[in-house]
Amino acid sequence: MVTPVEAAVESLRQISTEPPVWLVPKQELSQAVRAASKLLFASLKPHCTKSPFDELLIEGFDAEQIWQQIDLQSQPLLSSLRREVKKFEKHPEEISKLKVDVEGGKKKVLEEIETENVVVNDDDDEDDDIDMDEEDEDEEEEGEEKEKGREEESENEGEEKGGIEDKFLKIKELQEYLEEDEAREFGTNKKKRKAETKKHEEDTEDEEEEGDDEENEDDTDEAEEEEEDELGLFGGDDESDEDDLGNARYEDFFSRKKSKDSEDKAKYRDMLEEDSGSDDEHVDKKVKNQRKDGLSKHEKELDELRSKIEQMEKANLDPKVWTMRGEVTAAQRQKNSALEVDLDFEHNVRPAPVITEEVTASLEDLIKTRISEGLFDDVQKAPTLSSKAPREVKELDDNKSKKGLAEIYEEEFVQKTDPASAPLTFSDELKKEASMLFKKLCLKLDALSHFHFTPKPVVEDMSIQTNVPALAMEEIAPMAVSDAAMLAPEEVFSGKGDIKEEAEMTKADRKKRRANKKRKFKAKAAKRPRANTSVRNSDEGSKV
Amino acid sequence: MLRRNIRLRREYLYRKSLEGKERLLYEKKRKIKEALLEGKPIPTELRNEEAALRQEIDLEDDYTAIPKTHIDDEYANATIRDPKILLTTSRDPSAPLVQFVKELKFVFPNAERMNRGGQVISEIIESCRAHEFTDVILVHEHRGIPDGLIISHLPFGPTAYFGLLNVVTRHDIKDKKAMGTMPEAYPHLILDNFKTKLGERTANILKHLFPVPKPDTKRIVAFANRSDYISFRHHIYEKPGGPKSVELKEIGPRFELRLYQVKLGTMEQSEAQIEWVIRPYMNTTKKRSFIGNDHESDDKRKKIKA
Repeated sequence: MVTPVEAAVESLRQISTEPPVWLVPKQELSQAVRAASKLLFASLKPHCTKSPFDELLIEGFDAEQIWQQIDLQSQPLLSSLRREVKKFEKHPEEISKLKVDVEGGKKKVLEEIETENVVVNDDDDEDDDIDMDEEDEDEEEEGEEKEKGREEESENEGEEKGGIEDKFLKIKELQEYLEEDEAREFGTNKKKRKAETKKHEEDTEDEEEEGDDEENEDDTDEAEEEEEDELGLFGGDDESDEDDLGNARYEDFFSRKKSKDSEDKAKYRDMLEEDSGSDDEHVDKKVKNQRKDGLSKHEKELDELRSKIEQMEKANLDPKVWTMRGEVTAAQRQKNSALEVDLDFEHNVRPAPVITEEVTASLEDLIKTRISEGLFDDVQKAPTLSSKAPREVKELDDNKSKKGLAEIYEEEFVQKTDPASAPLTFSDELKKEASMLFKKLCLKLDALSHFHFTPKPVVEDMSIQTNVPALAMEEIAPMAVSDAAMLAPEEVFSGKGDIKEEAEMTKADRKKRRANKKRKFKAKAAKRPRANTSVRNSDEGSKV
Repeated sequence: MLRRNIRLRREYLYRKSLEGKERLLYEKKRKIKEALLEGKPIPTELRNEEAALRQEIDLEDDYTAIPKTHIDDEYANATIRDPKILLTTSRDPSAPLVQFVKELKFVFPNAERMNRGGQVISEIIESCRAHEFTDVILVHEHRGIPDGLIISHLPFGPTAYFGLLNVVTRHDIKDKKAMGTMPEAYPHLILDNFKTKLGERTANILKHLFPVPKPDTKRIVAFANRSDYISFRHHIYEKPGGPKSVELKEIGPRFELRLYQVKLGTMEQSEAQIEWVIRPYMNTTKKRSFIGNDHESDDKRKKIKA
């Protein structure tokens, strides 16, 4: 009789497992896989009571939708399986019962499962560029495989052990490794607990196997692993709770508070972890619960933390290191302690130049170019101002003199007797002007530089002499003023005859004066040209 | 002598105070000259003084046209007469310092070395003024290594304070036969990369330590400025193969000078005005170059006046 399972398996086997085939999406491949999954679905149908689908709907459906259908069917299945496993955990004797019943019939199936597991593993080992369809198919298969596997395994564990082992996975090795690990962590109490925990270990082994499978899978299978862990956790919790509640003591709560906390924390951590290594911990936790002493990993960490805190507090209380103390002189720190510290500050000065070969060479090059060009920065001699005036070169005039000899003699005579009246020659005038200017300049300079003041030279030219005391002219600050006047009386007033003031005049003198005036005026008027005589005559006639 | 000195100082200060006014006048004359050249109308602010200024412009010649500063006054007589230098050290010099000063005496032509003994600076400067010296150079040291140089120009001239670095003296070079004697001809000078105003001033100070050379001397003294560090090099050259090939032979000490102060009076005038002082703790000192240009090429073209 061909069971639905066998049919499904057969269909699966028909699908080629060559990896290259799976690289390129092909229509017939996906069709075959879909058909196989449909059969698998049908095979599982009898076990699901609450499944909404009668069969897996494939035609025209997306990979995502097919997966959703499978998911819908398998979720309640998972929970029922969980319950079963829990039951078996609590009552291990039932497993052995199951084992005996099913041993013969299921062996073949187990082998099939084994091969399928291998197949699945191979599929899993393919590349990541597999098409989504194919990935989904894989997941579907594995999910279903796992469910089946779990079912079978929970029924006959003893056989499974022998059946599941292959060249890569040795249960005995696993067991030893686990024991070693726990011994390393917690001491040597493992051996004692071995009997009790054997079942747990088997569970963990199973879970680990599935975990191994899953490690090759995609990430979407994490949830299932976590569920397994939770399963284990719940199982463990039930046990530990039972123990504690039974023998609850003060010490458990208040002296062993740390262990409880650490246990909770371990639980929390386990839930977050994905690794199968977490399985170790909840096993260990159970172990620890059964022993009342010993330190968990967490406790050890706490101890370290505590010691660190103590150190830091001690450091805070001590006086500070000299580097942290602000301005520190040499007297306040140890000898040579500044040499050990890496003092780093910005220098605001350019460092002194290190004279290397290149620098010397560049300087020499510069010097050589300057030499070859002849460009030097020597001191230049300033152009000296000649101190002497240019000598007058007297040119002898060859031309015949324009003046006669008599005229020349005449001029010389005139010059001797009366130098002022002689007509000045052209060059003489210029010379005179120049010498005048120069004399003025020299006078000013002398006044500035000499202590003795020499008065202005008397320049013979017509100038008005003012009637000022003579000493006032010669001295700036005259000590005494003399009455002697500069001018002679006739120079003051040159007048003729008897001079009388207005008050002194007699009547006859006044008359005489007036008569003189009139005479002069008449003489003047006679001289003036007569203009407009006709008008004048009439006026004069009226006036007189 | 005292009164003469006082009078000279007063003249100097008076002329310094006139510089501002002279500069204004110079600017006005310059504007008028430009306007006349270009044919543009004279600027309105100068209309009143235009006639008088124009007269002055006509009377000017090359010498009077440029406004003179007190700085020029300091070196006015330098070109007429050869410089006369006095070299001394700080008190209690060590033997290496004395050797270094001996070398410097040969570097500067017309230089005299004097033992310091216990003289005070003011005495030294007074006596130098009396003997018509033009410059006084003081060398300081640190444990045998010369580390300071102070150059003071004498009639009230500027004083430049340098720090010495990387000093290599002739005495360090053991092989005396190879070195030979130092030639004492007046050297040609090379001053490179003294571009800023302060750079020109420093170049002036260093230049006037040397007399006017003959055009065909073979001795070269080079002051090259690289990022405010002035390198002093002293060479003899010859042209073995034609005019274009030049072979240099280094003689004389080599050191780096680092200017840190310029004062407007002589060394003993402690209250003299500071023209420039280095500020190493200013945040932007590293980015600025005070003596020359660090970023442009170092070619300095100059017309040689016949």
